[in-house]
Amino acid sequence: MTVDNVVALRPSEPARGWLSLARRRRAWLASLLLILFPLIVPFKALAAQILVYGLYALGLNLLFGYLGLLSFGHAALFGVGAYFCGIAVATFGLPWWAGIGLGIFGGTLAAALIGALAIRTRGIYFAMVTLALAQCVYYLFYEEAGWTGGESGLTGVDVKTIDLFGVSFNFVDPLVHYYVICAFVVAALFALSRILASPFGAVIEGVRENEARARASGIDVSRVRLVTFIVSGAFCGLAGALLSLNLSIVSIETLNYETSGLAVMMCLLGGMGTFFGPFVGAALFLLLENIVSLYTVHWQLIVGAAFVACVLFFPRGVWGTLMQGLEK
Amino acid sequence: MTERITGVTRRRAAAMAGAALASPFLFHIARAQTANIKVGFPVPLTGPYGAEAQDQVRAAQVAIAEFNETGGLKGRQAELLVRDDKLNPGEAATRALELCETDKVDFVVGSLSASVQLAVNNVTKARKVLYNSISQSDAINEAKDFSPYTFHEALNPHMTGGAVGRYAFAKYGKKVAFLTADYAYGYEMVRGFQAAGKPMGVQTLIDVRHPLGATDFSTLLPRIQALRPEVLVISNFGRDQQIALKQATDFGLKKSMKIVVPILLYTGRIAAGAQAFDGVVGGTSYYWGIEKTIPSAKAFNDRFRKMHNGRVPSDYGSLAYAGVKTFLMASRQAGTTDPQAVIPVMEALKYDDYKGPEYYRKCDHQAVQSVFIIESKNAPAGDPDVFNVIATDAPNEVNLRSCEELGFK
Repeated sequence: MTVDNVVALRPSEPARGWLSLARRRRAWLASLLLILFPLIVPFKALAAQILVYGLYALGLNLLFGYLGLLSFGHAALFGVGAYFCGIAVATFGLPWWAGIGLGIFGGTLAAALIGALAIRTRGIYFAMVTLALAQCVYYLFYEEAGWTGGESGLTGVDVKTIDLFGVSFNFVDPLVHYYVICAFVVAALFALSRILASPFGAVIEGVRENEARARASGIDVSRVRLVTFIVSGAFCGLAGALLSLNLSIVSIETLNYETSGLAVMMCLLGGMGTFFGPFVGAALFLLLENIVSLYTVHWQLIVGAAFVACVLFFPRGVWGTLMQGLEK
Repeated sequence: MTERITGVTRRRAAAMAGAALASPFLFHIARAQTANIKVGFPVPLTGPYGAEAQDQVRAAQVAIAEFNETGGLKGRQAELLVRDDKLNPGEAATRALELCETDKVDFVVGSLSASVQLAVNNVTKARKVLYNSISQSDAINEAKDFSPYTFHEALNPHMTGGAVGRYAFAKYGKKVAFLTADYAYGYEMVRGFQAAGKPMGVQTLIDVRHPLGATDFSTLLPRIQALRPEVLVISNFGRDQQIALKQATDFGLKKSMKIVVPILLYTGRIAAGAQAFDGVVGGTSYYWGIEKTIPSAKAFNDRFRKMHNGRVPSDYGSLAYAGVKTFLMASRQAGTTDPQAVIPVMEALKYDDYKGPEYYRKCDHQAVQSVFIIESKNAPAGDPDVFNVIATDAPNEVNLRSCEELGFK
């Protein structure tokens, strides 16, 4: 892989000044939005959940939106991250930062294993293989009740205080809670922005746009796929770790195939292949669900109709369509 | 699910949420003006246990109404904040966090599965909020998950399985086969039955496990039939129970053995009809028919019928009534909703809310209560009187696992 062919693959930048400035500062802008987010959301716990699921969808988006591979097994990466962090904190009494480190490791490990097996297939087969392998992970964790709590879930992932540079923060306080999670999400946003802006990021999009051409340019397509899958796993593992710290439990439902579908849904809703889309999707999904369910038990009907409307009127997702409109 | 179960309180909570979305400042003003006693109520309104959950809401509303009509707590009225936990522990934990942090509830009552109640318990424990759990679980009693702020109004599998086992093994025979749903609930029930059966010399012929959500038992039932047990214990829940009983009836198992279930669900019996359940014996925490002999049950049923168009409360619904009522009564007695003052009152409480005498055991806060042994009868469709109460296992701590066994010192 040489720099020349990478440059050739890079999509052309839009010429408009402020938009291209915003695009170059996308990580800053996205972070700013997330920092201001709890001011407009009624429930801090929900805001934190949106962050976590946004990050999880962002992990999938790297694979789905940027590389063009649809995985239906991302719950495994998310869930393994959550369980690794949960077990580290609840069972071994390790500090929270070690839990997060192990969560990222767990997601990466699961991605490496699943990726190595699934990456040979493509299209619908890739989706099915990832789904099947994720179900294997689900049952493995379900059966290992001694470690994971099985059906009852893992409880006691309690982090009461966060000590940083001699200052002790009360992690039970909802706002502190939110901003600690936000700090990690912001770090992940910058990391992703950096990855996407790197030659490797260009290669990822190049493979999506024209695989044959990328291969002809000397790019090892399978390796790009595997590496992207693993990086995606690291993001999902981090999201999982944050989930277990946020809720102080890990439930077996985290590994369920419905959780995989959720990430796909959030990506589509927000806009696949857009930088901030997954967060918009996660926010829309969770806010709609929770606010409508306050009014009526028939919330599923209304939320479903809203999704249909989104798909009809925002074919590139809410954020994606918005961005497209701005570019014109 | 045609009924709109949301009350004024939920609408108000939603309006608050809406206002908060429009402006963060409005929200804080709106919250400051209420001094009501808030009872957070996360239950799975949607999902497979929706029918039970909606009945729980109805019963909780009865407890709230009674408390408010009798003057509240020094004029403070109680309100119910119903949330849908979707039968998902993660959802339930998020809802519980919101209830504790944003709504600043005084109590949390609710949940309908073991994993969900453990999730809620974990949240309320860390935030020192009083919680009364109203679904069956053995794990919540154990020292590992114990919270001084948590009480368990529901029965647990050990008590239920034990009560039904003691009755059934003595009466129908000691050669027993088990058909068990392959998850914690099933195992805990079997353990309860076997603990009760051991001193009686009960012999387990086979324990067949079936996956959760099974639709076909036809390969499993002949295996059981071939062993000629005297009693078949089917430990599963909801729709699994209905299908298993229907197929066992079709296979003619009832001719050669007695079928026993740990929990005979009222809503399940109503949904599946008389034939499948005919002659099946099981346990329950409550059946409305006990009103013939128990005055508090009569009072509760009458009040429930009056508020909900002549309906009768279900077993799990009634637990919600007691769960909410004991907290409200204890806080009235304590003169405050402060947990530190309410806990000792709860621990000393001897109450008869709806089913006869009960009290919370001090070490694990488990409600010591009676278990009713009931038998399904051939009642016509539409008749709510579907069970005969054939025995009552009186409240007795001996029937619970001991505090030492649970890990308390």
